[in-house]
Amino acid sequence: MGSIFRSESMTLCQLFLSSEGSYNCVSEIGEIGLVQFRDLNPDVNAFQRKFVHEVRRCDEMERQLRYLEKEMQKDSVPILDTGENPEAPQPREMVDLEATFEKLENELREVNANAETLKKNALELTELKHVLNITQHFFKEQDSEPNSSITQNLLPAEEGKGSVQLGFVAGVATRERMPMFERMLWRVCRGNVFVRQAEILEPLEDPVTGDQVHKIVFLIFFQGEQLKNKVKKICDGCRATTYPCPETSKERKDMGQGVRGRLDDLNIVLNQTTAHRHRVLAAAAKHLRTWFIKVRKIKAIYHTLNMFNLDVTNKCLIAECWIPYADLGRIQEALRKGTDKSGTSVQPILNRMETSVKPPTFHRTNKFTRGFQTLVDNYGVASYREVNPALYTTTTFPFLFAVMFGDAGHGFIMLLFAGWMVLREKALIASKMSGEIWNIFFGGRYILLLMGLFSIYTGTIYNDIFSKSFNIFGSNWHMGHNATVKNLSFTEALTLDPYYRDEYIGDPYPFGFDPIWQVSINKIAFQNSYKMKISIIIGVVHMLFGVILSVVNQAFFMNTLSFVFEFIPQMIFMLGLFGYLCIMVFHKWIHYGSGPEFSVAYGSSCAPSVLITFIDMVLLKSEEPLPGCNQWMYDGQYTVQVVLLILCVICVPIMLIPKPFVLRSRHNAKMRAQSHLATIHEEEMGETSDAHEEEEEFEFSEVFIEQAIHTIEYVLGTVSHTASYLRLWALSLAHAQLSEVVWNMVMKIGLSQSSNVVGSIMLFLIFAAWACLTVSILILMEGLSAFLHTLRLHWVEFQSKFYKGEGYAFAPLTFKHIISGEEEE
Amino acid sequence: MLDSIFNIDNGYLEGLVRGFKNGILKQTDYLNLVQCETLDDLKLHLQSTDYGNFLANEASPLQVSVIDDKLRDKLVTEFQHMRNHAVEPLGTFLDYITYGYMIDNIVLLITGALHQRPISELMPKCHPLGTFEQIEAINVASTSSELYNAVLVDTPLADFFGECVSEQDLDELNIEIIRNTLYKAYLESFYSYCKSLGGITAEVMCEILAFEADRRAFIITLNSFGTELTNEDRKKLYPQCGKLYPDGLAALARADDAENVKQVAEFYTEYRALFEGAGNNPGEKTLEDKFFEHEVKLNINAFLHQFHFGVFYAYLKLKEQECRNIVWIAECIAQKHRAKIDNYIPIL
Repeated sequence: MGSIFRSESMTLCQLFLSSEGSYNCVSEIGEIGLVQFRDLNPDVNAFQRKFVHEVRRCDEMERQLRYLEKEMQKDSVPILDTGENPEAPQPREMVDLEATFEKLENELREVNANAETLKKNALELTELKHVLNITQHFFKEQDSEPNSSITQNLLPAEEGKGSVQLGFVAGVATRERMPMFERMLWRVCRGNVFVRQAEILEPLEDPVTGDQVHKIVFLIFFQGEQLKNKVKKICDGCRATTYPCPETSKERKDMGQGVRGRLDDLNIVLNQTTAHRHRVLAAAAKHLRTWFIKVRKIKAIYHTLNMFNLDVTNKCLIAECWIPYADLGRIQEALRKGTDKSGTSVQPILNRMETSVKPPTFHRTNKFTRGFQTLVDNYGVASYREVNPALYTTTTFPFLFAVMFGDAGHGFIMLLFAGWMVLREKALIASKMSGEIWNIFFGGRYILLLMGLFSIYTGTIYNDIFSKSFNIFGSNWHMGHNATVKNLSFTEALTLDPYYRDEYIGDPYPFGFDPIWQVSINKIAFQNSYKMKISIIIGVVHMLFGVILSVVNQAFFMNTLSFVFEFIPQMIFMLGLFGYLCIMVFHKWIHYGSGPEFSVAYGSSCAPSVLITFIDMVLLKSEEPLPGCNQWMYDGQYTVQVVLLILCVICVPIMLIPKPFVLRSRHNAKMRAQSHLATIHEEEMGETSDAHEEEEEFEFSEVFIEQAIHTIEYVLGTVSHTASYLRLWALSLAHAQLSEVVWNMVMKIGLSQSSNVVGSIMLFLIFAAWACLTVSILILMEGLSAFLHTLRLHWVEFQSKFYKGEGYAFAPLTFKHIISGEEEE
Repeated sequence: MLDSIFNIDNGYLEGLVRGFKNGILKQTDYLNLVQCETLDDLKLHLQSTDYGNFLANEASPLQVSVIDDKLRDKLVTEFQHMRNHAVEPLGTFLDYITYGYMIDNIVLLITGALHQRPISELMPKCHPLGTFEQIEAINVASTSSELYNAVLVDTPLADFFGECVSEQDLDELNIEIIRNTLYKAYLESFYSYCKSLGGITAEVMCEILAFEADRRAFIITLNSFGTELTNEDRKKLYPQCGKLYPDGLAALARADDAENVKQVAEFYTEYRALFEGAGNNPGEKTLEDKFFEHEVKLNINAFLHQFHFGVFYAYLKLKEQECRNIVWIAECIAQKHRAKIDNYIPIL
């Protein structure tokens, strides 16, 4: 309990484990995932640690499993994932696992090697088949011309010599290599060869890589032995395979038939091999996931054991670990279980240790708070036990977002999407959808859900649903007595002036904005005034809350010094300037108005500008009032303002000067006390000097400069941060305007179509366009921008008031990520 | 080139290469590596460096050759990534770097072919950066003119081949001459290309290439003693872009024994230091190692300047040196020959 307010209290423990029981104990601890071990041998090389041999065996097993997985993916064998969580096997079971994997790997490698040779043979035969087919085709072309043969000399045979036969080589080469091949043939044989080529239409499979390659059959004709040798060499060099090709047509035909027969036989064998391989893989696929988890667990355990110290007798292992104080019982329970399992009689010992080392920060989160905690942690992990802003972020974050994203329609769509993710949570987690963008959305599903809900709320206040308004309570505005149909129909929009009571009832609208503003010209002017003031008020309240949270920190850490010299002046400064500004805003809202019941001095013409008044207050000057108006909003305003200003100015040196001096005098007093002590116990000199080293160095100039920076940051920050909250107004305005533009430029065209079939089809299409624009621009893009602005308001404007964020996160040994299948690194 | 516009085209790659350079093993890593008992220890330690899991999918027990291949693969992947992202003139510059490997590959293949070894057996030994389309057809050639006309004419190396076209059959000596002539032409061409790029690139690269040229001149001279290479022929092989040119090269051409070479080096401050500390006795560093150390120093210096291409060359060379170091240490571990395990060249 209480972990969401501030991080868990942690304790450093020393753990003595008997060497037989240590494995099981660590295994049990890993299952709970609440213990962070410290590396006690940081200077020892990775390969000189005690259990490096076991780690290496795990590496080897993992490699074998990865090999199996790769092969399964190649054959697209589905890997069974039951989601069960097998326990880390006992060390003695490792041997069995190793043997199983080894056997599987060898079997698979053998099958693969066989398949490869078979495929290679098949490829060769297929190529030969194609060569025969295509050469047959070439020669047939020639034979159709009587009395000539392609292998015959073109020149008329010389007397007495007979015709010279040309030799030829037939073969297959890949398509990419053909140009180079031809060029080289030409160069080396000086143009004395004749090449015919034809492409094999279907792509062939490369037996090694399994890729599809395009190949070309070529026939090279040449004369003489020497050329033949050269051609052969070039064929080798270009990785072209040559095939024997008989001279006569009949032999070719016979050979072709033989090849086809062998190819059929080969294919049968090949199919059997593939089926066998598939069976082996399918059998292994059932266990692959559990094997992976088991091996990774063993590895994680040995990694942890490597961090332990060995005591001199080699009988027990000593570990140091951080444990959440509240979970001490569970951990002892786990240790007991581990000892029982290993069957040793030696009980593990858990000692709490006193330490000055800063403990890690551990926030226990549930699925709802996790998203918000991540938002905060991304800025910086909280210092140990300081106030955790995540809790407050759960409401302020969606609220500030919604102020900027105020449209009930858009909010509703967001709510639907987030609601779907939340309702189908379990199924979605199980389906393991990956992808960075999806993970971001899914991880922040509860943030989205709240953002949607709050947007609907602010949207109804702004009375803005897809840039249109609902008319639920009617309107408080009426036709004036002197309004006629004629003079109204000339103008498309009206200027609403609340002064005339025959047009305006004079009561506030029951909830949100009156829908009539949607058609008025001065809608923007009206909303701006409202939204601007509300942003400042929200901002000041938010920041004040931040400053108040710093008290909680100071109270927790017993820091009265900071309370007196930081919190109080900070509070006065903020309230004196911007708190007063907010009060003036309320004052104006209450006392000033438009209508006959307000006197001239409190009427619309005399209403003072709060901003100008505020600037005048700081500059200590006053404006001349207009005739008939009061110079001041209330009696004694000038005095109040001057007093507030003087208070605020005094606060600055109070924040700046006393704290460093007090710190210095405290430090000096401590030093004196210590030296005094040292003179008394001179024999214990060694121990005191040890204590000295752990004491932080005190450098007065550094402390002072730090304090100066803090003060300047706060004083300037108060001004700039307040102004920064105006982004609430600006973004809300931009969002409303943009959605109005999308409505007017797109949807309005659709609605003004003629009311026949064409018009309805047009409307259908235009609605689609409008819907796409709404989702992509107004919800996704605008939503993202509003999200980022909200994030900034929290990180900078809110958290800078109290949050240090200098801690480091608790990183316990846990098997969770192993089970969910994520990589460790 | 203006420094201010360097980053438009090359900023990404320079940043990348500097990042890669930071991953080069430090002295502490070496100290850990030499303590390893087995190659698996070595693998475990390399896993904690920038090499990461590059050996994770290799079955135990490891072979040194596997480590060597994987180291080289990693380097080649990095280089090729940079080459694919490079725009001119960096593209040409990176191509120039690969030409050196092409020369080595050609010589390797021809020598292999002379000893009747099949090309398919030799191909895996070739450096992957120096492969080109026609390389496997290299054994078509039996004379250097055939080599030129059939194979090399389409490759970028054709320009460097001008001087060594002859009708003589290829034999051991011939191949060495071809290699050195090619290298000479290559270095000179690379040197003048870097000069033409101007700016810091020229400043840095010319320094490195001049050293490379001089190193070749020294080594050619030292290796030629006791062979049938005449002094006249030898002179033709000296790259003329180093600091030795012209006086030192002329003196080297006249040298008849190692002592003469040393005398030549006396005239140049940086080389004198190298020759003085070198020796073949145990406890002394060989001249080769001295040269390597000097090269490492020059390459490290290249990283002290910004906005130039020299870092790419320097990175490749440093990484190669690192691969040699790791392989050396791995060999020493594998052969249980720990006495010389410290003879790697540290990259500071």
